[in-house]
This record gives sequence, structure tokens and C-alpha cells, in this order.
Amino acid sequence: MIEINHLYKEYGKDVQALNDINLVIDRGEFVFIVGTSGAGKSTLLRMMIRESLPTKGSIKIFGRDITRLKNREVPYLRRNIGVVFQDFRLLNDRNVYENVAFTLRVIGSPTKEIRKRVPHALELVRLKDKAYKKPDQLSGGEQQRVCVARALVNRPAVLLADEPTGNLDPGTSMEIMNLLHDINIRGATVIVATHAKEVVDHFQKRVVVLEDGRLISDQERGVYFNAH
Amino acid sequence: MHIRSLLYFLGEALKSIVRNGWMSIASTGVVAITLLILGSFMVLSVNVNLVTQDIKEQVQIALYIDESADEETRAELERMLIRHPQLEQVRFVSKEDALTRLKQQLGDRAYLLEGYEDLDNPLRDSYELRTIIPEDISDVAREVSNYPGVGYLDYGSQVVDPLFQFTGLLRWIGLVFMAGLAVTAIFLIAHTIRLTVYIRRKEIMIMKYVGATDWFIRWPFIFEGLILGLSGAVIPIIILFYSYQVADVWMQSNIVFIALIPPHEIINEMVKILIPLGIALGVLGSFISVRRFLKV
Repeated sequence: MIEINHLYKEYGKDVQALNDINLVIDRGEFVFIVGTSGAGKSTLLRMMIRESLPTKGSIKIFGRDITRLKNREVPYLRRNIGVVFQDFRLLNDRNVYENVAFTLRVIGSPTKEIRKRVPHALELVRLKDKAYKKPDQLSGGEQQRVCVARALVNRPAVLLADEPTGNLDPGTSMEIMNLLHDINIRGATVIVATHAKEVVDHFQKRVVVLEDGRLISDQERGVYFNAH
Repeated sequence: MHIRSLLYFLGEALKSIVRNGWMSIASTGVVAITLLILGSFMVLSVNVNLVTQDIKEQVQIALYIDESADEETRAELERMLIRHPQLEQVRFVSKEDALTRLKQQLGDRAYLLEGYEDLDNPLRDSYELRTIIPEDISDVAREVSNYPGVGYLDYGSQVVDPLFQFTGLLRWIGLVFMAGLAVTAIFLIAHTIRLTVYIRRKEIMIMKYVGATDWFIRWPFIFEGLILGLSGAVIPIIILFYSYQVADVWMQSNIVFIALIPPHEIINEMVKILIPLGIALGVLGSFISVRRFLKV
């Protein structure tokens, strides 16, 4: 489903953010991408949604090399990839329901569809009873659940999470990871960039380790410890 | 565009106008002031044009034939005048006709001219010439004065030349003025939209992440500019309509001999010009900001 071949990203002449990355991720997989900050995790995720282009190499998603997409094709790629951010990026002037509905509204979904899907997504993240609260009335974990609901309301085939637990305490982090795991079990391919050791070790999933822009290890049922 | 999307864009634009509050009022206000000045100027200028048009239509050359000219010269003169490409009308007025006309003008006092008929007629045979383009009159007069058999010419040069210079100048000042104001209005709308883009940057970023198309992101801003421009056009139309009516009534009771263009005609013109202009200013302003500040 995702096939990354000889991917390089250079910023200027000296900074090698990604150095010859090769990676294949199948449909329905759950993958942790770990590494210290600056290892290239975020850069890699950004390229998967065509937020930036590689210096060299290709990224095939759903059989298409997305580095060759025309700019006007990019939105349609992104409709199939949900994204969860470390800093949640919720709209504070709208309630939970509207934040989730926003995804569907801006891709022009019919109102009927929105009324059906948003409650369903909120149920999935167990926030149905807080649908009419504003983000700032919620705890950090709840806010991140809203972000997850927003990412999956359009039923994307792939869910990318960039340090989703970076701003959360350990207990809440585990809760969010469990949620992402649930979503994976329901069929979505989930890719999580993180440096939360406990979480990675707990789940015993595939772990891809990046260091200084290189892929130095890729193990099924890996643990974070392997990175060092 | 889908009707659902259209409603969404309009809703977003209106929300953003309300959210920007004072900035929206300010930029609508500036568009309104701009278009009010522009509109007033247009009202003034069409009325000045109406008056000058009247005068222009009366502008003609009186060409008096040299009395000593023989038949052949007179015939040659007439041929040359008729053939002149810039002349619209060449009318011969014999001295008998001229006398009759003068009598009519004098009315009750026509008796003063008694005894001047026939051979004592002091008037001359002449031609009344009109140019196709009134402004050409000076040039044509100069040219025609060299024709054979011409006694002298009169076209009221002291009045006509400055008048045409004045109306020409007025038109140029008007154009420059209007262009300057239009640029100001575009700039202000662009600034307001830029502010909106800034306020909504987070929302725009999320829209991009979840796969909204670039045009879906742009449209609300375009609509916002459109609404600001449109409101900015409606206000001066209302003000102009009422003040012009007052002016019209005042003119009718105080300056009888100048007739203004009727208010409803003026307003029709204003609507036809100011509304599209307001919309154009608004859309153009938002386009500039959307292009420069909305990196989608």
C-alpha cells in the first residue's frame, strides 16, 4: 500500500534530513516510526501527505507515485490519509461536533452524510457526550481524541499520527494509543511517529527506527530499546 | 459550483465579516467613500457634459463672403466647402434671409430695420458651417479662412476655445482621480482580506490537511471581498440618490435655465456603474491577498 524507494531529502547542502529510506508498509499494518527528535520522523510523514517533496526517490501510495502528483491532485490524496498532530490543531471557536464535521464540510460532503458520520466518529473516540463542548473545556487526552475523530471521520485508508502523545501524560498516552490500535483493528493502516518508549514497548508492533535521517532498523514486534 | 458549497462559502464569508467587525466596517466605509466621491464626480461630470453638449451643438462658424468676390469665386468657395471632410453642414444664408432672421429676433422692434431691405441691406451673404466633431472648429476655421472669396469668419473663438480646454481638462482630472481612488479601495480590501487570511490561518492549515481543494479554500475570501465591495457600492448609491433629488429640486427653483438630468436616470446609471465597480474592487482586492498570502 505504501512503498518508499530510495528517498532522500536535503535542506540546503549540509542538512540531510532523510538519507536513502526504503520502506514498504502493507494494508492494515500498524507501524511505529521511532527516533530522537531531528531523526527525520516528521519529515518522512510530511512527505507521505505531499506537504513537502523529496530531493530524490519515490513514494508510492495506493499504487501511485505521489511525488509526481499535480498540485491540484494533492487534496484528493489527502482525503484518503487522516492526520493526527501532537498539538491537536483544533478550532477553539467551534465545538467538538463542528471540529469533526469540518473535515467533511470542506471536502463538500452532503449534510446528510455529515449528520450520519460525525456522531459515529465521536462514538468511536468515546466523546459523544461532549459533542457540544468547546476544545478548551476538554482535557488534553480528550482534545487528542477529537483530533483522532476528525482524522478518521472521512474513513481514510491510512492514518498518520505525528507524536500524538507528545503533549500527554503517560496514562492518557496509553489511552490514545489504544484508540489508534482500535482503529487499526477496524482496518485502517496506522503509522505513528513517536519517541514514547513505554508505549512502543507495550504494543509489540512493527518498529522502524530512524537515526540522523537513516533507517537503521525495521523489526516486526519490535521494542523501542532496539534503537539504541 | 454546487449550491451547498455556495451557501457554505457565503456563510463563511459573512461569519468572517462579522468576526473582523471594525476592519470590515472600515474597508466597506472606504469603498463607500471612494465610490461616493467617484459617483459625485460622475454626476457632476454628466451634468457638465449635458450643458457643454448643448453649447457644443450651438457652436458654428459664420463665414461671411467677400462682397467683391465674383460669381465664379463664390461657386468655387461653395464647392470647396461642400467637399471639406470635417464639415457636417454647409448652409448658405443670403443677406435677405439674414435680415429676415434679424427682424424675427428683434420682434416688436423690427421696425428699426425698415428701409434696409433690397439694395440698402447692410448684411452680407454668408455660410453657416458646422463641424462633425465640435472640437475641430478652430482648426477648420483657420483652414477655411484661406479659401477664395472669404471675407471674414466668426466662430466665437474666445468662448469656444477655453470651453473645450476646460472640458478636456475636467475629463483628465476625473480619470486620474478615479484611478487613484480605485487603487486605494483595492488596497484596503486587500488589507482586510489579508487580515482574514491571517486570523483564519489555522483553519486554512487544517483544511489543507484534510483535503480541501485550493479553490474551496479561496472562495470564502473572494466572497468576503465581493460582499465588502458590494456593500461599499450600495451605500453611496443611496446617499447620491437622496442628495441628488435635493439638488435637483434646488436647481429647479433657483437656476431655471440649466436642466439637470432627471434623478431616476442618474440612479440607473449609478447602479449600472457603481455596483459592478464595487464588486470588481472587492474581488480584485481579495484576489491580490489570496494570491499573495494564502499559500495553498
